[in-house]
Amino acid sequence: MSAAAIPLADQGPRRPSVVRMLMRDTGGAISLVFVVLILLAAVFAPWLAPRDPFDTNLMAIMSPPSEEYWFGTDGQGRDILARMLYGLRVTLGMGFIALIVGGVIGAVIGFLAAFYRRIDGLLMRFMDILLSFPAILFGLALAAIFGPGLTSVIIALSIATVPLMARIVRGSALVVMGLDYIEAARAIGMSDRRLILRHLAPNCLSAIFVFSTLRLGQVILLGSALSFLGLGAQPPMAELGAMAAQGRNFLFIAPHISVIPSLGIFVIVLAFNLLGDALRDALDPRLRI
Amino acid sequence: MLKTWQRATLGGLAGLALALGAQAQTQPRNQITIMREIDSDRYDPHRSTALAGGEVISMMTDTLVNMDFDMRTIQPGLAERWDVSPDGKTYTFHLRTDVTFCDGRPFVADDVVFSINRWIGRTTPRVASPVAWRAGNVKEIRAVDAHTVEYELNEPFGELLAQLSQYFGSIVDRASVERLGDNFGVQGFNGTGPYCWGNWTPRTEMVLNRHPTYHWGPASLQNRGPANVERIVWRVIPEAAARVAALQAGQADITQYIPEAFWDAMRRVPTIRTSTQPNYFWDVFLGFKVDKPVVSDVAIRRAVHMAVDRVGLARAVWSGHALPARNIINPAALDYDAQSDAMVPAYDPAAARRLLDEAGWRMGPDGVRVKDGQRATFLLYAINNLSNQRSSEIVQQGLRQVGIEMRVQLFDATVGWGRLATQEFDAYILSYPYISATDAMSLYWHSRNRPSPNRMNWNDPETDAWLEEARRGTDPARRAEVTALIQRRLAEQAPWLTLARNELRIFSTPRVEGVRAHGLYGIGIYKGLDLRVVR
Amino acid sequence: MLRHALHRIGLAVPVLFGVLLIGFLLMQVVPTDPATVRAGPQATEDVIAAIRAELGLDQPIYVQFGKYLWRLAHGDLGVSLINNMPVTQELGSTIGPTVELMLAALVWSIPVGIFLGTIAAYWRGSLLDKAVMAVSIAGVSVPVFFLGLVLIWFVGFEWNLLPFTGRGGPLWTLDGLLAIILPAVTLGGVFIGPVARMTRTAVVDTLSAEHVRTARAKGLPEHLVVLRHALRNALIPVVTLIGLQIGFLLGGAVVTETIFSWPGVGRLAVGAILSADFPMAQGTIIVLSAGFILVNLIVDLLYAVLDPRVRQA
Repeated sequence: MSAAAIPLADQGPRRPSVVRMLMRDTGGAISLVFVVLILLAAVFAPWLAPRDPFDTNLMAIMSPPSEEYWFGTDGQGRDILARMLYGLRVTLGMGFIALIVGGVIGAVIGFLAAFYRRIDGLLMRFMDILLSFPAILFGLALAAIFGPGLTSVIIALSIATVPLMARIVRGSALVVMGLDYIEAARAIGMSDRRLILRHLAPNCLSAIFVFSTLRLGQVILLGSALSFLGLGAQPPMAELGAMAAQGRNFLFIAPHISVIPSLGIFVIVLAFNLLGDALRDALDPRLRI
Repeated sequence: MLKTWQRATLGGLAGLALALGAQAQTQPRNQITIMREIDSDRYDPHRSTALAGGEVISMMTDTLVNMDFDMRTIQPGLAERWDVSPDGKTYTFHLRTDVTFCDGRPFVADDVVFSINRWIGRTTPRVASPVAWRAGNVKEIRAVDAHTVEYELNEPFGELLAQLSQYFGSIVDRASVERLGDNFGVQGFNGTGPYCWGNWTPRTEMVLNRHPTYHWGPASLQNRGPANVERIVWRVIPEAAARVAALQAGQADITQYIPEAFWDAMRRVPTIRTSTQPNYFWDVFLGFKVDKPVVSDVAIRRAVHMAVDRVGLARAVWSGHALPARNIINPAALDYDAQSDAMVPAYDPAAARRLLDEAGWRMGPDGVRVKDGQRATFLLYAINNLSNQRSSEIVQQGLRQVGIEMRVQLFDATVGWGRLATQEFDAYILSYPYISATDAMSLYWHSRNRPSPNRMNWNDPETDAWLEEARRGTDPARRAEVTALIQRRLAEQAPWLTLARNELRIFSTPRVEGVRAHGLYGIGIYKGLDLRVVR
Repeated sequence: MLRHALHRIGLAVPVLFGVLLIGFLLMQVVPTDPATVRAGPQATEDVIAAIRAELGLDQPIYVQFGKYLWRLAHGDLGVSLINNMPVTQELGSTIGPTVELMLAALVWSIPVGIFLGTIAAYWRGSLLDKAVMAVSIAGVSVPVFFLGLVLIWFVGFEWNLLPFTGRGGPLWTLDGLLAIILPAVTLGGVFIGPVARMTRTAVVDTLSAEHVRTARAKGLPEHLVVLRHALRNALIPVVTLIGLQIGFLLGGAVVTETIFSWPGVGRLAVGAILSADFPMAQGTIIVLSAGFILVNLIVDLLYAVLDPRVRQA
């Protein structure tokens, strides 16, 4: 897939606000509101949660959603709403850490490959090799090596993000590199480091931003799947995929225990995907991610 | 919740299924499918202690004697009668002469000698059965003639016959063991049971075929001839919900692995039948390593008893289909001591807080008590299954309320047993079957059984002496007396918190008959000889 | 063409070697000593030592790696620590069901996805387009297990229409066919989204291409223009992209196999990892990776055959 980025106005001060551009598109506006709400819910979970997420009420086991328990209780009589709010932190945290770790490494590799053409072939060949493995295999392999757990999942998701980010960044950077003013900056003897940080990076930001938003959705989807399989977050930790897995055993008597957290993952991933699409349309319509 | 296209797809599929006229899979008339949750690692009676192994092995083998449904009466098995010497040390078994193995070879005394010796680790290559002690303190096992075996002990063992009825005492064919070596019970098997090894696909299914000439079934069963069905398929379906649905849809016939949460719902399904066993002894417990910091303090252990609501736990985790427990022994079991029941600390969080305060455990700033710089925290290990997950989280929460922190680590069963044999943890949750007070307590409380199964590291010379006296078991009254002493000691010292006593319930479809819950060592369907297809 | 093929195969070789190396290292870095696990909790020191020698664990690491490759070349992946079964034997019995499930998912989701993508592209900007895109984005956002659980709940349980408890037998039997429907619908359900999306983009591109415009100018009927010119040319990138999405499908397959008790490699892998059965985990990971590399290579070469432009590149 070729990634072509139009540089945003060169250091121009009159760039239209991304938010304003998003708000013009209904889907974008809705998804942005959703994403903001999700993030706020995760940040303010301790204040929003109606009760302690670990508190077991043995008199209310597997209660369906009610006025008292909006999302019902799970097999241990714990409040699913409270657990989901806390679980949101784990799920999003897992996604963000993996994205940041994998994204930064990938971006550095991408810039280096675009800037130093001598190592481009070698670096990208290595990225191709990494790309030949589906993320799920990293997940399985790391869980096999380090044992099931959140750390294994985060490392796996980071590794799987590296080559994707490297490709996106390299593609964007190559377009920028071809522009006249980079030549000019080079000509006046600007240092490589300054050139990358001051000119190359800012102009690739839109591509990185769009990719990161879309990737976050995928990372969350994959991470929760690994937790669902028992390879990720371990009980009693509240994580949406793990919650869905625990409730799966009671699917026919208390479907809400697994359905509500699964639905939660769906909504989160959908919001990030929609936002990513809208961002792309707004920032960089020719970008193909 | 369903998207439009999903609805369309569902509709289309529904149509397809109806068009094919297949409401559910139909099974061959001569086959019965039994569902379970997990598979065994192997099917070797002398190497396995798993229920998943035993339930299949008991169908493929016989034991010298059989246990009746009352869990007390011993009936003839491969031995049609036996004599016991006056000193209680020598048992002479007179074997049936008409028994053959699955491969047609006649069964003789030498098979008994070989099998029991293999169980207790006296054959080469040596097999290390973790439950060799159940065979008693054996001096020698001799074949007097082709159909007589002398079983000589170093000291009397009152429960020998009951132990010999368990699947560990299964008689297997020596030639097959030697031929298959390490793969005995993996690639093949040869026993005298009502069914024979067919085909094993690990973690998926085990197919057993009828032993056509079988006619030496236990007296407690009705069928005197060979099994009624050609084939038994033991199917592994790890998901509880899937087992429930498969039973309702008639895709399988029998299972004892339906979580208690479903029991009430199942009772309302007219097509599902149940069979229960009141004399079923399978307890879930939390044991403490009494020589580890924090849990070595009897105040902590008693406070844990007071902080855990066993009635609520039974209601929550087992949906009320488990007996809330106090004493270590089931009231229906032989030599249960009622007095010690009252000595076990009852649920009372306020009293737990008081007790901890008095014992010098002061509440710390993080909600965990501290004494002499030591935080009231301990590490719990357990096998990762649904009920352990749920009960450990509930216990954890109960303890948090009184200022004790319990850290939980769950392991997959295959790894867990190894981890549970170590000294890495302070407490653990496990469940186990037993047949009597003596049986239960010999397993866990003799100092010789440290570090496993005596994971508590219980080392008390008096307990050992009482246990040995109980095991000799020549005088029932004296046996009841000493086992009561042990129960009281344990109630006082609180090294063990019985969480619940499980019930055995077997669910079946009207397609099959002859399902009667037995429950020896947890095995629901004993030999499966009476099973038959009625429609 | 030959150069391209050689280049791709040349790329696959180090990848494959990497897989084998990672598979080998997996056994080296695991915190648990395989000999101890194999010996069981009751084992004594000398038993463990004997098993170490038997497994060759006492030799230098490069010797072990050489032996490992040699054994691998002979189709020997060791034995399961849990039940002593040869790993290759278990893999042999699970690969079939996995391939079967993936094909069953593809066989319906690809046509549906391509159809949706094409109509969305053709009526670009219309309500229909928006609806298809909404379904597609929902498709890439939905957790596989959610879809599977909902299907089990309603179709399997409430309505009791279809089995969901594993493989029913060979596909040519009615039982086998019925049993695969729900897993295949689940797995294919999450695959429609990406396929529809990719098809739409590709068809939109070709609809504005020169030869399509020429065909239109010649007065060809519209449906012929779309089918013969636009879709046909769009299919090439779509096929490739589908090939690249096999990884995505594989992830879904692991989850689908687990919730439907499908006796495939994915379920075997998860079970082996959870039970610390390292040889088995290693075997499943090697097989899944190698299979994935092979599929990618085939798709790549196929692409080159289909699209002359790639050959020169």
